[in-house]
Amino acid sequence: MKSMPDVDQPMTIFNDVRAILVDLLDVEPAEIGAGTYLVRDLGIESIDFLELAVALNSRFKVRIEDNDIFLFGLRAQLAKAGPNPAPTPEALQAKFPFLSQQRLMEILQDLDYGPVVKVADLVAYIQWRKAMEAAA
Amino acid sequence: MNLRFSGKQAFILGGTCDLALDLAERLIREDIMPTLTHRNTQGVERIHHRLAAYPARYQTCFLDLEQQDSLPNLCGAGAPDPQYFIDLAHGNLETLVAAGDHREISAYFNAQVSTRTLVIREICRAMLKNHSGRMVFISSTAAVSPNPGQGLYAAAKNAIEALYRNIGLELGSRGITTVILRPGYVDAGRGHHYRQRKSEEILNKIPIRRLLSVDEISATILFLLSDSARGFNATALTLDGGLTAGK
Repeated sequence: MKSMPDVDQPMTIFNDVRAILVDLLDVEPAEIGAGTYLVRDLGIESIDFLELAVALNSRFKVRIEDNDIFLFGLRAQLAKAGPNPAPTPEALQAKFPFLSQQRLMEILQDLDYGPVVKVADLVAYIQWRKAMEAAA
Repeated sequence: MNLRFSGKQAFILGGTCDLALDLAERLIREDIMPTLTHRNTQGVERIHHRLAAYPARYQTCFLDLEQQDSLPNLCGAGAPDPQYFIDLAHGNLETLVAAGDHREISAYFNAQVSTRTLVIREICRAMLKNHSGRMVFISSTAAVSPNPGQGLYAAAKNAIEALYRNIGLELGSRGITTVILRPGYVDAGRGHHYRQRKSEEILNKIPIRRLLSVDEISATILFLLSDSARGFNATALTLDGGLTAGK
């Protein structure tokens, strides 16, 4: 007997997120992987982010905080903290608890190359948010 | 004139005033289900009394701009997303700008502008799901015609107008449009009381020599909600009998 997919599994969430992006941006599914950058690779603009947030909320029935899921607040957070001491993944995790320290380290090293948010970050946020809301 | 409506659900913020109730009846007659907001039991009773002839054809929702924690009631859990949003809520703080109480001023702008922005944000997001929405904001000629004692009221109206104009610009490509209506003196609510005090003086200022009726304002709103009026977007229309046209 074939088992039902676990809707909270990252792969299931990823497939749904990808389907939303395909629909929203009119791109091929093959163009979207977990490591795809939303802005650098897919050219997402502010209105697309808004629609994406609405679609994610509608699909997953969890609260979406645009500033968090799309990492809009990341650079402001870093600017507020200042250069000394140098920002650490541990410090950033308080603001972005859905991202692993490894991912946050990668983000810190990637900042100079443009907007850092990737499809995998959306998946991580949805998974984290589902767990939070289920616990509440 | 036969008006066409592609939506089926309307949300009326400020749902207990004469204008809201008159508009709700018109919407119901067009087979549109209005949800009217109220702030207390007297308000909800007023709605039920006025719309008694239309059982199960309207809904009510407690939402008070002065109580931000009432926002989760917006649309209610599982309620259909509205295609029409009519913003009729307005609070009044009549005072000279420099004479206003600082706590009242803060509370006034917090309710009228900040909390309202959160309501509008949620409605926009609900409309975005279906790429369809029409918003009508009822402003006032006071927004463009300063009057001593109405500075705070006018400032709030102007701030809110700016929000609606921007929404029309930002979301027009996604099927969500906005229009602002600025009525002049209306023979209801504040206008009615004002007229009783200064009847002759007011009528002399209005070229058509009469106040506007609730009936003609709500008929205009219904038209602005219709499919025919979608071309009016991110703009303000004045409905004042010519009050503000001259010097």
